[in-house]
Amino acid sequence: MELAGLLANLGLGFSVAVSLQNLLWCLAGAVIGTCIGVLPGVGPVATMALLLPVTYLLPAEGALIMLAGIYYGAQYGGSTTAILVNLPGESSSVVTTLDGYQMARQGRAGPALAIAALGSFFAGCVATVAIALAAPPLTRLAQQFTPPDYFSLMTLGLVFAIVLARGSVLKAFGMVFLGMLLGLIGTDVNTGNLRYTFGISDLFDGIGFVPLAMGVFGVAEIIANLTNPERGELASSKVSGLLPTREDVKRSIAPIVRGTVLGGLLGILPGGGAILASFSAYTLEKKVSRTPEKFGTGMIEGVAAPESANNAAAQTSFIPMLTLGIPSNAVMAMMIGGMMIHGIVPGPQVMEQRPGLFWGMIVSMWFGNLMLIVLNLPLIGIWVRLLLVPYRLLAIAILFFCSIGVYSLNNSANEVLMIAVFGLFGYLLMKLDFEPAPLLLGFLLGPMMEVYMRRTMLLSRGDPWVFLQRPLSLCFLVLAALLLVFVVLPNVRQAREAAFRE
Amino acid sequence: MRIRSSQDFAAGLLLLAFGVAGLWIGADYPMGTAQRPGTGVLPMILSWCLIGTGVLLWIKTAVAGSARLTPWAWRPAILVSLATVAFALLVDRLGLVGTMIVSMTLTALGTPDTRWREYLVFALLMLALGVGLFIYALGMPIPALPAGSQWN
Repeated sequence: MELAGLLANLGLGFSVAVSLQNLLWCLAGAVIGTCIGVLPGVGPVATMALLLPVTYLLPAEGALIMLAGIYYGAQYGGSTTAILVNLPGESSSVVTTLDGYQMARQGRAGPALAIAALGSFFAGCVATVAIALAAPPLTRLAQQFTPPDYFSLMTLGLVFAIVLARGSVLKAFGMVFLGMLLGLIGTDVNTGNLRYTFGISDLFDGIGFVPLAMGVFGVAEIIANLTNPERGELASSKVSGLLPTREDVKRSIAPIVRGTVLGGLLGILPGGGAILASFSAYTLEKKVSRTPEKFGTGMIEGVAAPESANNAAAQTSFIPMLTLGIPSNAVMAMMIGGMMIHGIVPGPQVMEQRPGLFWGMIVSMWFGNLMLIVLNLPLIGIWVRLLLVPYRLLAIAILFFCSIGVYSLNNSANEVLMIAVFGLFGYLLMKLDFEPAPLLLGFLLGPMMEVYMRRTMLLSRGDPWVFLQRPLSLCFLVLAALLLVFVVLPNVRQAREAAFRE
Repeated sequence: MRIRSSQDFAAGLLLLAFGVAGLWIGADYPMGTAQRPGTGVLPMILSWCLIGTGVLLWIKTAVAGSARLTPWAWRPAILVSLATVAFALLVDRLGLVGTMIVSMTLTALGTPDTRWREYLVFALLMLALGVGLFIYALGMPIPALPAGSQWN
């Protein structure tokens, strides 16, 4: 029954994903994703924020299929830059530079690129099946959630985001609180009172998600990147001999499988995602290797594992978003933004009310991965040429697309002003070594948590202990507390810092 | 150690400032009852959390020290912001072409290694793309040239 149901669902998804229109959007997402993945300094979050206004013009299926394609496409593209230029095209490819660039310098760029793409493809296929398997039971579980359960689950999500954020835990706390406070700006939906609007009518509906994300992730990045124009040296502009040797393949199989499993698991965690997955996979490979001292000198394992892991994680991070409606990282926050633009309330009901959308998106990921492997292996030369565009020109183009993208949302020039404000604010946060991702999650979850908190208090007649009396809610809160205790323990903290420093 | 140049001291100050401002401005928001929490409950809790986090950061800085602030990139920060502000202020008045010229030139001025001849070619390309894609293809309701000009 379970298997038959799964096949029926996948069949439905297949019929949606295979339509010419959706295949085209999937291809568009994969191409854009590869493109921005290759370009250092342009990330998937900023790109998705930029394209959110455009998705308004598409049907919901096409919009979400394209947005998803950008995220996992960026994981493919990011490795190209890491291997050829020693610069991470994406932050999730940082560790790939260590061994990938060394391989390129030894004239083995082709095998490194091929293994990275094949590993990503394998991970993408496995992760797609994992989503299809995990989504229905999780959705069924989520349908039994009561308001206190949701509140506690979101608390747990934010705690995960804090624990898994890079850098200081205290600062991540600060970002979550600040994000939640920013999320409360505007009209209080329950009472109609205004909060922190300073009489500015543009703030009555609250701060827009798109201007905030674009400012903090897009404009702030431009300012920071213009300051220190990093330019790497192309290891080789011509990539010849893509085929890995039999030895390469043999050495890569186990790391690819390990990377896929580890990445897939880490991707599900809120606050996790591609970056953490690639770091952890590299560390794991070093641990299990018989020659750990050789890592950093061009070991193919050091390319295979993290590249598989980041793609697996990029895809499994859709699971909490699709089943619970909770964004686990900034990219998923964008996906939720994309759903809301189309009037879809994210949550467990999506699978029942829009099965075509739900399964179509999952199946499209498999098509997307197939397209990406074609895009990235035979066509690699085209992407390499992209690297010749200097950042000083990219900056001009990005800033223009940000401005006109935000303007086109509501034809409101004031929202463009907001990205200037948030851009400067985001730059300030960067200089003070704050991570912007927890801010964005707090911003999205803060108002939702307030709604659930109020519902809970109303149902319990003002008794706050109900959060500890509901078994599920209690579980989530205990887990959150344990995580917090865990992360302040000195030895765990050292391990965490070491993992991020690699 | 000079406290003022400490990164974490400034970070704590930022959180404290938001916390205090949140409390101050939110002081008269209604609190409601336990059964029906009012508008002011969550802002107050969050403001106190921000203040607490800021103070903890300060204590940590005093005990363990912190990295120093790196120099600010004034030129890109100011000019990129100006370019965005210019876009916002001009787009409804000057039309897309004029707005793009002003805004893109400001960005180029904020870039340390701009080559002006290259910029000129690129700007013309962007203008063609901007007008072609957003006005003709997507049909956005922005005039290409200022309203009232005889070219419209």
